[in-house]
Amino acid sequence: MSGITLAVPSKGRLEELTRQWFAERGLSISRPGGARSYLGVMDGEPDVTVRFFPASEIARELIRGNIDIGVTGRDLIHETSENGPSSVHFARSLEFGHADVVIAVPDAWIDVTHLHDLADVASDFRSRHKRWLRIATKYITITRQHFAKAGIAEYRIVESLGATEAAPASGVADIVVDITSTGSTLAANGLRVLEDGVMLKSEANLIVSRTADWPAEKKAHLDDLLQRLGATAT
Amino acid sequence: MTNAAMRRAQLEALVEAQGGCRATPPLLLPADPYFDLAGEEFGRRLLLTTDSTGAEHCLRPEFTLPITRDYIADGTRQPAAFTYLGPIFRQRDTGPAEFDQAGIELLAQPDGDVALDQVFTFARAALSIYGLPANIRLGGVGLFEALLVQADMPAAWRPRIRHRFGHPEAMERLLSRLEAAPDAQRQEQPSRDVLIEDVTARMVSTGLSLSEGRKPEEIADRYLEQQALDVAHVPAETLKLLRDYLAISGDVLSALRQIEALAEKHKLMLGAPIRAIRRHLDKLGEARITFDAAFSPRLDYYTGIVFEMTGRSGEVLASGGQYDRLLERLGATAPIAASGCALWVDRLEAEVSA
Repeated sequence: MSGITLAVPSKGRLEELTRQWFAERGLSISRPGGARSYLGVMDGEPDVTVRFFPASEIARELIRGNIDIGVTGRDLIHETSENGPSSVHFARSLEFGHADVVIAVPDAWIDVTHLHDLADVASDFRSRHKRWLRIATKYITITRQHFAKAGIAEYRIVESLGATEAAPASGVADIVVDITSTGSTLAANGLRVLEDGVMLKSEANLIVSRTADWPAEKKAHLDDLLQRLGATAT
Repeated sequence: MTNAAMRRAQLEALVEAQGGCRATPPLLLPADPYFDLAGEEFGRRLLLTTDSTGAEHCLRPEFTLPITRDYIADGTRQPAAFTYLGPIFRQRDTGPAEFDQAGIELLAQPDGDVALDQVFTFARAALSIYGLPANIRLGGVGLFEALLVQADMPAAWRPRIRHRFGHPEAMERLLSRLEAAPDAQRQEQPSRDVLIEDVTARMVSTGLSLSEGRKPEEIADRYLEQQALDVAHVPAETLKLLRDYLAISGDVLSALRQIEALAEKHKLMLGAPIRAIRRHLDKLGEARITFDAAFSPRLDYYTGIVFEMTGRSGEVLASGGQYDRLLERLGATAPIAASGCALWVDRLEAEVSA
């Protein structure tokens, strides 16, 4: 069986841009059952099964190997699991969905411009305030990895599932780790990105699962498909 | 009895034979104390679960914290010895999340040197049950702190450097930054009052609480301190000393001689912490011992001497040392001496079959 499962975002601008991107390369994706169906087909490619998934599920299923290739944000691969990046191959950028995962502090913190300032503030935060420095974010894995590399251990994460930029003003957290494309939402909320505060540059990617089964025939099919999409083979 | 079962029985006997109390903390523990003590970096290794009230619990990830917390709650402050052997649970890249750990905790002992010797003896006895030679790597937290206190530099830099001890990359970045510090002329700074006013205005305008987190005074003071630090250079000679010191690693006797030479050159009094290390060497006999000046656990409650015993491929089989600041961090009202170590039982057994 050399059939390949391709997962693409199921709704919104991301779905639109993804289908447009494939169409521009002569591989149109259609959704015969309409927007409420989660199964699609790729024109002229009967062996490719197209599935429509939320972007974060695409990341999870690629890492687990339940789907073979998919389109999702690089940030979601890094966030879903510490083993995420090693479980997949980033075949190529789709050149949309650009956004950075950044560390932002209140603009009023005029003494904190770099990560090393944050390390200093974090190190004696507990003795000054009887609690740890709190970071609001939905990017828990990325934050922990990045802070561990920077040598910052003295903080607590407050999980935030939406409107992270409001966390400092509402007193839920002191600083945030958030995703931003222009920084304007952060700025509007009185937050400033540290000068070395970009943790990850993300964009939509065509991603191949390394944990899926790849028998020779299926692999050959994949390489052919990747070549037609201008992507690098695994 | 299989050989593995024999070794296990011998380890049980060793754990029982330490003349202390065999501790068996619950498997399910509140998670907050771990986050409080060790932060998110250790927190990501926990196996967490939430009860119906939303309180977070974790499967016991190690023994030291529950043992020392019980000891503090008990309030006796009498010398105490605890040993343990049982399963712990951690998220790991390889290997099952449940595995056994054995160890010893010596609290409020009158003589910290004697206590550490007992810890070394315990760890070596455990390794010998598995027929393993002791490859010991020593680190000197007390030694580094003694050096730092005497090294010539603006005082505000000391906690910043201490904080990075045990994290080679962070230390490297800081030292490089200090070496590259430009000869900036001190610029005219706004007064503290003006800064506080400015920061307060920014906080108010963005809806930040002036009392909940960092206060305007704290931010202004640190800003001024930072500006002062930018022109308060750490002398190049001190940076060279720190680099030379942190690079020392190798056979313990020659490493200590290098440190003595460095101390003499820079006129530092490091006799006491060096003697403390030497005293233990006699007791450790024929073991292969290295000293690594930059080696320290990343947790700031370690003091004095720390150690690791490693296997053939460098895997840590036993680790521990002195942590006199731990009990205060956990709420004890006065300093209480503490030392101990933990053994990785599955790795010990794996070394035998390897």
